[in-house]
Amino acid sequence: MHRVLLKLADAILPPSPRTETTLEDVARHALVYLRYMPRSTATLFLLGMRVINWSPLWRFRGLRPLSALPPETARRQLLGVVQSRWLPVRLLMYGPLGLFMSSYFDQDYVHQELDYAPIPFVADRIELRRKWIEGREPGADEEIHHLPSGTP
Amino acid sequence: MTILAHRDYRNGEQHDAEVVVVGTGAGGAVVGAELAEAGRDVLFVEEGGYHPTASFNPYLTESLPRLYRDSGGTVIIGRPPIPYAEGRCVGGSTVVNGGMTWRPPEEVLMEWESVTGQPDLGAKAMEPLFDRVEERIHARLQHPSSIGEDSRLLEEGARRLGWQYEPNRRAQDRCVGSNQCVTGCPTGAKQSTLLSYMPRALSSGARCLTEVRARRLWIEGGRCVGVIGKAINPRTREEDIDVCVRAKAVVVACGAVQTPFLLLGHRLGRPSRQLGKNFLCHPNAKVLAVYPHDLYAWQGVSQGGQIREFRNEGIIMAENAVPPGTVAAQIPFLGDEALDLMRRYNAMAMTGVLVEDSHGGTVSRSFGAPMAKYSITRYDHERFLRGVRYLATLHFEMGAEKVILPFSNFHVANSVDDLAHIERSQRSRSTIELFTVHMMGTCRMGSESRRSVVNLSGELWDLPGCYVADASLFPTAVGVNPQLAIMALATRVAQRLQLPN
Repeated sequence: MHRVLLKLADAILPPSPRTETTLEDVARHALVYLRYMPRSTATLFLLGMRVINWSPLWRFRGLRPLSALPPETARRQLLGVVQSRWLPVRLLMYGPLGLFMSSYFDQDYVHQELDYAPIPFVADRIELRRKWIEGREPGADEEIHHLPSGTP
Repeated sequence: MTILAHRDYRNGEQHDAEVVVVGTGAGGAVVGAELAEAGRDVLFVEEGGYHPTASFNPYLTESLPRLYRDSGGTVIIGRPPIPYAEGRCVGGSTVVNGGMTWRPPEEVLMEWESVTGQPDLGAKAMEPLFDRVEERIHARLQHPSSIGEDSRLLEEGARRLGWQYEPNRRAQDRCVGSNQCVTGCPTGAKQSTLLSYMPRALSSGARCLTEVRARRLWIEGGRCVGVIGKAINPRTREEDIDVCVRAKAVVVACGAVQTPFLLLGHRLGRPSRQLGKNFLCHPNAKVLAVYPHDLYAWQGVSQGGQIREFRNEGIIMAENAVPPGTVAAQIPFLGDEALDLMRRYNAMAMTGVLVEDSHGGTVSRSFGAPMAKYSITRYDHERFLRGVRYLATLHFEMGAEKVILPFSNFHVANSVDDLAHIERSQRSRSTIELFTVHMMGTCRMGSESRRSVVNLSGELWDLPGCYVADASLFPTAVGVNPQLAIMALATRVAQRLQLPN
């Protein structure tokens, strides 16, 4: 199962940025998420991943599972599942997409790629609130503005 | 302050209290605090752990398992299936929600009065309860320093289109817009029950057993006299220690899915057969707009206000910035295509359309777990399509480059002209993608045992000593964010709860 998780993650996630441990990290996070679910739900999630792994077979697109295909080919096959017109087929991808994407896009090096930096912003806001509690109400210069005035 | 965790329990140990409250969210914490302040010996049973403000951080990989039920992987079965999220920690969903505090509209309260045939749930009777709760959770408008560009954009868009926009009153004390509501407020500004009602309860002598899952009610002589649970080992997630609590009254406040699940295990609700019925979920559809300039929607309060122009049609629209991991999990792209879109994260306005339920679903027990079933009606579907079109129109009016739509067969609109395809391409209810955090109904409150699950004091008709105090009490859909209504009803339950001599 671990190999299937790694291969599915490899096909779903962007090829870069990654570190040497990206796939292992994402698979580990997925298993942690599953441990916090009822056993029946977690089993269904894992079963769903096995079904997805064999999607080339039941979609009549090939005889080999996704885990045996190169990542680019597997990704093309998976996109067909994600964008399928059949709801039960699309449903299969809820689990892997939720588990892998939320984990991958939670990594610091991916945040850097997106120019998303919540830690310093939150630290700044905690400091702002501390001053407010001490009696200094935030002024206009502490408002959040990024657009030049007049932007539609 | 007594907060116990798994390491503190011994197998077979019995705890005693006057009132045991299962759950510490918007319902449970309020009931417990009100009773503790009135001098009652209260003991909370909470399935999740105790996570103080200092432990909150923006990382989903840490927050989802710690703060959310099933790591956020819960789904309502139906057409379409609707993923839902609820909190599982001390403070419950109030720790991870947006903290909106809207009073139910007057017509809803009139309907409640009419459905129950009693004035108890009418606007006049409920007003002092709303006043009391609002004071205790600091329900206030946002300070200008907390408002982000996405909120201003939505407000300006509404103004241009001549639509009514109302700023949110939120449960917050000096909110500075850190926008981490969904992973736990790291500044301590959001007045979740973790910071508002629970400290009141604990400082009045209440105790809290965390990491304990209530498995069964303890029933003796036809009366509810306690709760039997299992402590969950936080490392292994195994339920390995028996925990019993004996009390004169039990308040079940586990939310609209878990509360009926617990009660159905005892075949309760027989007089009306309404237990688990009338499940409402106020679903919403995400509309993601990408602008040519960066908005940094993750800076500033998660929801500054709501467009309420179409409230009479049961449609509300609002912005709600969420972390990149949450967005990426919902877009229909993989690999580089997903990254290309996510690179525009700072230019995204994340908005949604909420549609008031026009009918109810059910919650039942299945293979030892709760199963929620709910399908939108054609009428709901038509309102969703209309709402998505309204919101996408607003984004194009404000200069959006493209809008990512919540349809599995129509992902991207590049201009306002593309929106004309919505009605034509969306004939099936299976192609819309919805989400919810507002689960309600299932233990309807009423004045007749033939039509409701609990009476107007919140006590089950067929199990004396067992009370319900959460969103499952709602007789009908509330049409707004339900936190304030839950808290007000929980206050009422606390005021009316009677203990046997």
